[in-house]
Amino acid sequence: MPVPGHVGSDYERLRPDFRVIPDPYAAGKRVMVVPAIRPDVALVHAHLADTAGTLLLEEREDDALLAQASRVVIASAERIVPTDLIRRAPTGITLEGLHVTAVVEVPRGAHPTAVRGLYDIDERHLRAYMAAARDDATFKTYLDRYVFGPRAHDEYLDAVSRP
Amino acid sequence: MAVAISREVRDGETVAVGTLAPVPAAGVLLAHLSHAPRARVFIFNHEDYWPFRQGSKEFYDYAQRGNFDLFFLSGGQIDRHGNLNLITIGDHDHPTLRFPGGAGSAMLYYMARRVIIFRMDHAPRIFVERVGTIASPGSSPPDVVRPGGPWKAITPLCVFRFDAATRTLVVESVHPGITADALQRRTGFPLDLPAPLPVTPPPTAAELSLLRGRVRESLAKAYPRFAEAVLAGR
Repeated sequence: MPVPGHVGSDYERLRPDFRVIPDPYAAGKRVMVVPAIRPDVALVHAHLADTAGTLLLEEREDDALLAQASRVVIASAERIVPTDLIRRAPTGITLEGLHVTAVVEVPRGAHPTAVRGLYDIDERHLRAYMAAARDDATFKTYLDRYVFGPRAHDEYLDAVSRP
Repeated sequence: MAVAISREVRDGETVAVGTLAPVPAAGVLLAHLSHAPRARVFIFNHEDYWPFRQGSKEFYDYAQRGNFDLFFLSGGQIDRHGNLNLITIGDHDHPTLRFPGGAGSAMLYYMARRVIIFRMDHAPRIFVERVGTIASPGSSPPDVVRPGGPWKAITPLCVFRFDAATRTLVVESVHPGITADALQRRTGFPLDLPAPLPVTPPPTAAELSLLRGRVRESLAKAYPRFAEAVLAGR
């Protein structure tokens, strides 16, 4: 697909798959084209979902686009609800279940990031993550405590609620 | 800086402020509440100024169509040619420093008519002769569609303008109290300073009062901590 700009930048050097070609629609001009991204799997987190995989997604993000590009889409949602609650929602982007492979209810599933209108970012946790990520030993401790340690999401939420 | 930015906003224009840009947001709000009431203003994540409801795609598509007269970009490194580095310093595969990435900057730098480069710190490691990696080039070959590009660069020390003939940043004015020596010491490329050195007109009482009043109140909707810490005047 074509992208405006970019010509003359180091993307030309660093990304051989980004090509600069004669612009077929502007005589004497060149344009950059880039290959489409086709992820094997996308993980998206929705405000609401129904059991058919219909999602209500954050309107400031591009999750609906990401899901449509991906071969497998695993959606988590704050709540699984009857379909009409999604249809009547005043804000958000609706994505039809035909694009979704699996859906699972995971309250506070965006932690430590935010779901707008429901909960804010967990700044304390993000700071702890940044500190832990500085070297391999502390990062391993982080992974053991928050990723590999908890057997289920409620154990994760319990672990992150303690200082 | 906010006042200097505000004076670049023209009434009736379409102006957008992206992410992590509280000072440009303050400057654009100041303009919108004073000399540019008919400007069409977009401020990322501001409930009164961010109408995009179909993801960031809607915003980027809007920008790609060339709708913005004025936009703001920054860089981990900025060079005298107006090149911005948001990628890496050093060998790309084993960098000494990795920045967050160019995001849309390599498109916005072309498609927004006037781009103001801003940086909250002015140091030789930032304002360099040549950036390590060019995410967004200051100028580009003539056979590329480029309606826009760099217009000014505004820092805590000075205002640069991008000179179209030499394709370089040249000092337009220094802020009150900044000497030529100090500016050169804190800039990583040689400056060709005009003599006498023009001084950026200081903020007026009316501008300061607006900044600390209605601008602060509005800015708090997108940048609550910045508005409180910097503009509350405590």
